[in-house]
Amino acid sequence: MNFRNAEEKIFCAVSCLAAAFAIAILSYIIFTIFTAALPSLSLEFITTAESDFPGVGGAIANAITGTIIISICATLIATPFAIGTAIYLQKYARESLFTKTVRFLIEVLSGTPSIVIGIFGLLILVYYLRDITGGFSLISGSIALSILTMPVIERAAEDAIVAVPKSIEGGSYALGANKWQTIRNITLPTAISGITTGIILGFGRAAEESAVVILTAGYTQFMPEFAIKSTDKLVSGFKVYPLQDLVGTLPYSVYHGYENSNIIPMSDAFAAAFVLIAIVLGINTIVKVILWRYKIEV
Amino acid sequence: MMNLRDIRTHIPDDKPGRIFLFIALISISSVILIFTFLFGTASPVLLKEGAGFITGTEWNYHTGEYGILLLLIGSLVLTAVTMAIALPLSLFTAIFLAEWSPRWLAGILRPPIEMLVGIPSVVYGIFGFFILENIFQYYVDPFIDSTLGFIWIFKDVNPSSGISILLAATVLSIMILPTVTALSQEALETVPRDYRHASLALGATKWETIKKIILPAAMPGIITAFILGLMRAIGETMAIVMLMGNCLHFPTSILDTGYAMTSKILNDIGYWVSFDEPKSALFAIGVAIFVMEFIFVALARLIGYRFSIDRRE
Repeated sequence: MNFRNAEEKIFCAVSCLAAAFAIAILSYIIFTIFTAALPSLSLEFITTAESDFPGVGGAIANAITGTIIISICATLIATPFAIGTAIYLQKYARESLFTKTVRFLIEVLSGTPSIVIGIFGLLILVYYLRDITGGFSLISGSIALSILTMPVIERAAEDAIVAVPKSIEGGSYALGANKWQTIRNITLPTAISGITTGIILGFGRAAEESAVVILTAGYTQFMPEFAIKSTDKLVSGFKVYPLQDLVGTLPYSVYHGYENSNIIPMSDAFAAAFVLIAIVLGINTIVKVILWRYKIEV
Repeated sequence: MMNLRDIRTHIPDDKPGRIFLFIALISISSVILIFTFLFGTASPVLLKEGAGFITGTEWNYHTGEYGILLLLIGSLVLTAVTMAIALPLSLFTAIFLAEWSPRWLAGILRPPIEMLVGIPSVVYGIFGFFILENIFQYYVDPFIDSTLGFIWIFKDVNPSSGISILLAATVLSIMILPTVTALSQEALETVPRDYRHASLALGATKWETIKKIILPAAMPGIITAFILGLMRAIGETMAIVMLMGNCLHFPTSILDTGYAMTSKILNDIGYWVSFDEPKSALFAIGVAIFVMEFIFVALARLIGYRFSIDRRE
């Protein structure tokens, strides 16, 4: 009996300690990143492009803009494919070997390490198609990132569509609506918050990814700007900025802090990291709020 | 004839449906394209080296020798050490959150743990590089060396630096901790209340209930959680490239440096992408990572499946 009680106490203590240790480590990380970022963190740091700042590093406005633009582009490319595939699988396809293969392939894609998608993007988009994409560019980066985010959005959209009650769809059919009218007017509006959650999750996934961005988007200190200039390097004869131009992103700014750790002050890297975390956590919070409101409605 | 009818049943009758089928086909063919391209680019070196690709220890672009044994060992050792740290820590944290802690405390602790899933890996990388590296060099490594150093795997072979497999594994286990903990907790909480009550009514202590009833019942879910952690550990690039030293040799201890497969690709692809054979060799490493993820998933799924069957008898 004594042994059993002792065992109980020991494992209770072990569990408490493990939880305390985990929480302590995680708060230590957040705290350290914040304190290490403080010396560089200022309004000027966030609002100036690196090109307008003397020397290397020192400002990240170009990277913040770049991260947001590239994530939006990646999401725009991935969303139609993800939602279209989800609607087909859930509403049109019959369970068969074909749908199983489709689901399996999407699962495999979501499990593929980002470095593998990165080298694929580097070889195809940046190297082989450099006359069209402009090599390291916003468009190469967006396409590579969209491969990464497509499975995320697809799965969320499929879950949201499954969750739509069969009874209201049945009601729509009973009123004489055909399949597409039902999907457009009943299924999609009902599933919209679930699908939105998926899209935002995909956006966050694109914003935090570093290996793919480093291998496909490159880096520039300049702010992205819109322009069309003639060039003989591309098949089209002109180059569209910022689409076919290099783009700076936050993960790369953080990586620069490691690569050039002797020139760029440590606090710059941590400040960029802090802003990146703030963006990603902000996105996650939005998702939580949407899910929470959604649950209350249902 | 049967086949033809089979295909026809997949084509929707209305126009929007056909558009969706078309979109789905594009998505799927791009996935297939990626994989065939990956294997296609890697095939020259894979065919040339044969089994020597896995058993060879020499990696030289100039002599055209490509063997990934050392990289493979680097990745496997790293993953093993990571799991050795992350497994007990996140399992006990999950047990605490699901079983011991009062409901309000779990409610407070869970959101911050979940939020940390969103911290980008490159941030963990510079955290390890700038902050943990010093701590490991001056405190952790000497401590491990002086207490366990008589066992060769714990010997501090390069005291002048904190960069080591252990450092990379520590950062990696912190990275996968939130995911694994949250999923394991979910698995533990889905075990029906009746099981607990029945066990407690029979006079079992709480720990005995956890050990003999709840953990076995939640085992498939917990194994799935650890597969996800394992997959992330194998595929992780950015943090590892900063923390493992990138030194191609056989690591003699966990405080030694090493070279992971993902780091090798990231470090070399930028320069060698325009050379046919080196490019093919680096893609072959990509294929190896890809295949490894597959093997691990299949293995773990099999274990989880058998485990759940054994318990039902």
